[in-house]
Amino acid sequence: MKIFDIALKDLTRSFRSVFAVLFMFVIPLVVTGMFYVMFGGMADSGTGFSLPQTNVVIANLDEGGSGFDMAMSQFPADANIQSMGDMIVYTLQQDNLADLMQVTLVDSAEAARSAVDAQEAGVAVIIPADFSAQFSDLEGQAVLEVYQDPTLILGPAIVRSVLNQYMDGISGAKIAVNVALAQTGSGDPAFIGQVVEAYLTATEATRDPAALLEVRAPAAGETEEVPLLLRIIGPIMGGMMVFYAFYTGTATAETLLQEDEMGTLPRLFTTPTTQATILGGKLLAVLLTVTIQVIVLLTLGALIFGINWGSLGSILLFSAGTILVASAFGVFVNSLLKSTKQGGIVFGGVLTFTGMIGMMPIFVFSNPSATIDTISLLVPQGWAIHGLLQSMQGAATGNLLLTMLVMLAWSVAFFGIGVWRFQKRFA
Amino acid sequence: MSAIEVKNLHKAFGDLKAVDGVSFDVQQGEIFSLLGPNGAGKTTTISMLSCLLRPDQGDALVMGHSIKADQMGVKSVLGVVPQEIALYNDLSARENLTFWGKMYGLRGAPLKQRVDEVLEIIGLTERAKDRVGKYSGGMKRRVNIGVALLHKPQVIYMDEPTVGIDPQSRRNILDSVVALKNQGMTVLYTTHYMEEAQELSDHIAIMDTGKVIAYGTNAELVKIVGQMDRITLTVSTDGGRVAEAWKVVKGVKQVKAEDGTLVVLAEDSNQVLPRLFEAASTQGTRITSVTIQEPNLEAVFLHLTGKALRD
Repeated sequence: MKIFDIALKDLTRSFRSVFAVLFMFVIPLVVTGMFYVMFGGMADSGTGFSLPQTNVVIANLDEGGSGFDMAMSQFPADANIQSMGDMIVYTLQQDNLADLMQVTLVDSAEAARSAVDAQEAGVAVIIPADFSAQFSDLEGQAVLEVYQDPTLILGPAIVRSVLNQYMDGISGAKIAVNVALAQTGSGDPAFIGQVVEAYLTATEATRDPAALLEVRAPAAGETEEVPLLLRIIGPIMGGMMVFYAFYTGTATAETLLQEDEMGTLPRLFTTPTTQATILGGKLLAVLLTVTIQVIVLLTLGALIFGINWGSLGSILLFSAGTILVASAFGVFVNSLLKSTKQGGIVFGGVLTFTGMIGMMPIFVFSNPSATIDTISLLVPQGWAIHGLLQSMQGAATGNLLLTMLVMLAWSVAFFGIGVWRFQKRFA
Repeated sequence: MSAIEVKNLHKAFGDLKAVDGVSFDVQQGEIFSLLGPNGAGKTTTISMLSCLLRPDQGDALVMGHSIKADQMGVKSVLGVVPQEIALYNDLSARENLTFWGKMYGLRGAPLKQRVDEVLEIIGLTERAKDRVGKYSGGMKRRVNIGVALLHKPQVIYMDEPTVGIDPQSRRNILDSVVALKNQGMTVLYTTHYMEEAQELSDHIAIMDTGKVIAYGTNAELVKIVGQMDRITLTVSTDGGRVAEAWKVVKGVKQVKAEDGTLVVLAEDSNQVLPRLFEAASTQGTRITSVTIQEPNLEAVFLHLTGKALRD
């Protein structure tokens, strides 16, 4: 019973602190709200979210080549495609991309670069004169130049993404031709054209530019169409929740040090209450505080921003994992401190550093990679984010269970070391 | 019957012997003071008797419970008023008392009733709902004492409860200590204020450098220095040089220079004082003020250690 009395006292104290409430609830919601407004605002949520349009200038200097026409049938006759460069221009001018980029053609590479330098365009795409020729030459290498305004991130990233996928398609076709030539020994352009056509038909990427930008979440089953705004805001809100849950875990566990310095902890030890009960009560308070924070933020995230956190089962799993690991991390970090004076450095340094590493998969969305995912998993926050994204993407329960088990292992290790050090300290 | 029996307690922190073979008995229903300067070992002794520190050697029985073998037994009969205010500033006085009452095992209606009684005792019924952080220092001290009274302990430790408070609050606390004794509680009181020990105590143990250097009633301790008077003087020149010269003056037993004043222990101030004026005149020194005090615990401490209590 005393264990609950101690935990209840700590909860009361925590929620009476304006500072704590700010960090637990207000800041995560305000930061998410800022992103929400920045990315389209509540008024747009019904009609969908619009990315800013990027001005793209293209200097298509491609003079064509003997083999470029092999994929001509992929394009309408009135498109007047004369070279591989024309294909790229045609692709970037498609209606499906009109909301994302405004394409302007210029005559020279210098003119294209000047437009970017003068900030009249965000990105310049320069297609060299030998682009088609290099593509036609099986030993050659077709290279595009992308020149961008360094102050822009999202727009150029989108253009690069479209071009990368386009060039991947071209490279794939070239590989297909190489393989066909190696197998048949035929150098007949008509045959090569058939191979390319067959490859492009199979990929269909160049015929459907919109597919180049479509983001698909790996889903276990049928998923509802989620507006892009929510697909961005959801992880951000989740990231804020995880970041501040770790902060709350650490700040609440710091009350052990505070009470030691205030004299209330030694005084507790003079009452007929065992050390295990006192420490247990304090740890329970940490756990309950983080639990309340996570529940409130999940609920408010769903109510205010309409975020779909996933199925109830997966929400429970990743929430439980996050609560455990954030609480245990707080106990562990504080057990390493000698006094609350060191707490500021820890909060400012360790939590921010590990938090930012853990949130990399959310905030480096312009260039997601397996490496970033792996680096983020070096810190416990990374696993919490991993679980969050799995839940939001409707990952299979087995995958989430695995993530949960890893978080549990972190928690056991952190709690074990933390409790052992505190017991030793107060023995 | 003894409420507290302290037997040869030792506690060292590294090379520092904080408590070095302390023994004393406290009888039930009495006020017992541990008197000594800062660093004498009083708080370390109290901490061991509260089961906060484990003695390196020795033991103590509190109402028959060993501080080594039966800590829960000790804690259940004990109320501790720590030197620093140990309360939750963000909780009200009532919330603080309720929480601490639960830690002492009180629940439900008896707890509520006892909290009301303690609020009445410490005179804070009207301010019970205010957060302790908004209280004055004296009010906080009263709540600090109130916490220790919740479970009606048989023994109460008060570790320098009057440090840093105004005279009125100090008076209130001293009166409350006497009131506790009148209710039958045994009080172990530590202080470095000689006047408090003298006023309150049935028995006093004087501590210095981790040891009990004298033990007895106030009257018994004063006898140690006989009927010597304590003369405090200020002089116009270097006190240290004057002190050296006065040590050979007839009737002077001890001289000590401290903070620009000279403290002289003498058998008869009426006879010694003219000689001190004469010696000062010979040295070209003017005596600018004189205070004479009859024998007290300060003089005892000076006599036993060669230094003042507040050193």
